Amino acid sequence: MIRSLRFRLMLAGALLAVLFMLGLLPALQGAFSLALRESVEERLATELTTLVSAARLQNGQLEMPVPMPDERFEVPAERSLSYVFDRQGALLWHSPGSPLPEYSPQYDGQGNRFSRFTARDGEAYWVYDVEVKLLGGQRAAFSFVAMQSVEPYQRTLGALRDRLYLGFGAALLTLLVLFWAGMTWSLRSLRRLSHELDEIEAGQREGLSEHHPSELLRLTRSLNRLLASEGEQRQRYRDSLGDLAHSLKTPLSVLQGIGETLAGRAAQGEEGKHASILRGQVARMSQQIDYQLQRANVRHGGLVRRQVQVRPVLDSLAASLRKVYPGKPVNLHIVLAPPGLLPIEEGALMELLGNLLENAWRLCLEDISVSLSVIGQRLELLLEDDGPGIAPEQRGRILQRGERLDRQHPGQGIGLAMAQDIIRSYQGTLAIEDSPLGGARFRISFAKV
Amino acid sequence: MKLLLVEDEALLRHHLHTRLSEGGHIIEAVADARAALQHAADATFDLAIVDLGLPGLSGLELIRQWRAQGRVFPILVLTARGSWQDKVEGLAAGADDYMVKPFQFEEVEARLGALLRRASGFTQPTIVAGPLSLDLNRKQATLQGEALVLTAFEYRILEYLMRHHQQVVAKQRLMEQLYPDDGEHDPNVIEVLVGRIRRKLEVADGFKPIDTVRGLGYLFTERCR
Repeated sequence: MIRSLRFRLMLAGALLAVLFMLGLLPALQGAFSLALRESVEERLATELTTLVSAARLQNGQLEMPVPMPDERFEVPAERSLSYVFDRQGALLWHSPGSPLPEYSPQYDGQGNRFSRFTARDGEAYWVYDVEVKLLGGQRAAFSFVAMQSVEPYQRTLGALRDRLYLGFGAALLTLLVLFWAGMTWSLRSLRRLSHELDEIEAGQREGLSEHHPSELLRLTRSLNRLLASEGEQRQRYRDSLGDLAHSLKTPLSVLQGIGETLAGRAAQGEEGKHASILRGQVARMSQQIDYQLQRANVRHGGLVRRQVQVRPVLDSLAASLRKVYPGKPVNLHIVLAPPGLLPIEEGALMELLGNLLENAWRLCLEDISVSLSVIGQRLELLLEDDGPGIAPEQRGRILQRGERLDRQHPGQGIGLAMAQDIIRSYQGTLAIEDSPLGGARFRISFAKV
Repeated sequence: MKLLLVEDEALLRHHLHTRLSEGGHIIEAVADARAALQHAADATFDLAIVDLGLPGLSGLELIRQWRAQGRVFPILVLTARGSWQDKVEGLAAGADDYMVKPFQFEEVEARLGALLRRASGFTQPTIVAGPLSLDLNRKQATLQGEALVLTAFEYRILEYLMRHHQQVVAKQRLMEQLYPDDGEHDPNVIEVLVGRIRRKLEVADGFKPIDTVRGLGYLFTERCR
């Protein structure tokens, strides 16, 4: 299956041109051969006319003048051989240098005949045979014959074929070059379209431009409408999720408060137990809502594949965490291989790094290191700290939804599961290892765009 | 401490109002950002609790406007979504901490306490001035290692003066720590309360940390840490 449109068109064009030339070649050759044959016939006829007009009848005997009036008949040449036969086929005269012919004319009163004759040695000749009655006497009837080797004719024809091949080859080459140039010009608009799509995918452009050929405009306008509606839908989706979160979680806060009040009043007995169930259920619902809402919010985008600078995201997260944990001086070391981009949406990257970095911030002693490196066709982000680390047997479990190993610290239990969801939705991988700093190391890997 | 609560949901506003008042704070509760801007312009607050999802002018915009006006009181943000994008935006706009709904009240109290301590330059939950120490979590004063019996009003006045140590505090500001409403109250109440606190502190070898600055207010002269 040939995938390139240009290659397909070139192949079709070249095939068409070759077929056209293959059809044209025999026709041209035939026409030329006919013209050549006619010119040979005409020349032989002229020679014979000269010969007949030079012939004299003396006492019923044929006499040819010596020398001949036309020097052509005197020069031994391969071009024309002339003979005169009587009506019985006996040779009466031949031009000088002409070999004795194997040809024997049949005097049958039919007049002129132009034909092709092959000698025993394989050599072929054009033969023009004229039956002449000199002075009208039956006894004075002769066959005047002019012959010419076919070889020069064939040589000319061969030369013509060679020239035709050469000419057609050159024409085919020129045609293909012109065709290529024409196609490059025509396909430039498709290339521009593809370039604009690249820009849209990279997030540098919102829609396709209007500068496209009329044949493509319908496609580009449809795509633009699709892009716009997708963008609006995503925005609406996000807004609805925000509204939903607000409208669900504010009543949950009220329920949580009521649960706390009830628990405060009735610490013992049945009511206290109910209050504690209420608080437990509220906490569970709230965690589920958080998880599902955030999951829906950071799902992978449609056409647009943004690449995001990691540094500003890390900087704003670090500024936030320094504000929230003012009593904890943390050294954050960031080493990002240029250009420091990850193929992920900014909101998703902020969620991913926010969850991992806050964990590290809470658990580290004083050092956190974040590094981004390019390894072959993959981008690898390492986030590590000098905290207590995660035991190998807990690593699988910790990534499950809602799992929390550090229940003594405030925070939500869905952070790591969220991080893993985001990584998965961008076809990345996550591994938990031991860090040389002493704590846990999160190794995140994405395919390079 | 005097707190401004901005929450549009009436039940949650009421719940927080009740619980925070029980914790010894004076609460002004409003339902939207416009009212919050007005209140902050009319009175001095020690801290604000702001819901990000307010109708009309958003909580984020309210925080930005306050910071642009030069208001420096700490701000605790309440957010429903709890995404990092929201948290980072809120903190970058000028908030100091965030809580994701639904929250446990104990955690709100802990965060509030930390923010108030930080705002007055204290990092520990105990303020110490010479023989006197104040446990901000337990709301208990200790003099020379022995518990000091203070009424709720006396404690509020003492805590406020110690938080604003070596600054002249106007009587009106102390009044605001006692009464949530703007109604008329006898200013002599403050004099009576300060007099009682002085007498209770003098038990320890003539310890007199509270000076009267005539016509201006009171000054806690001892250095607190």
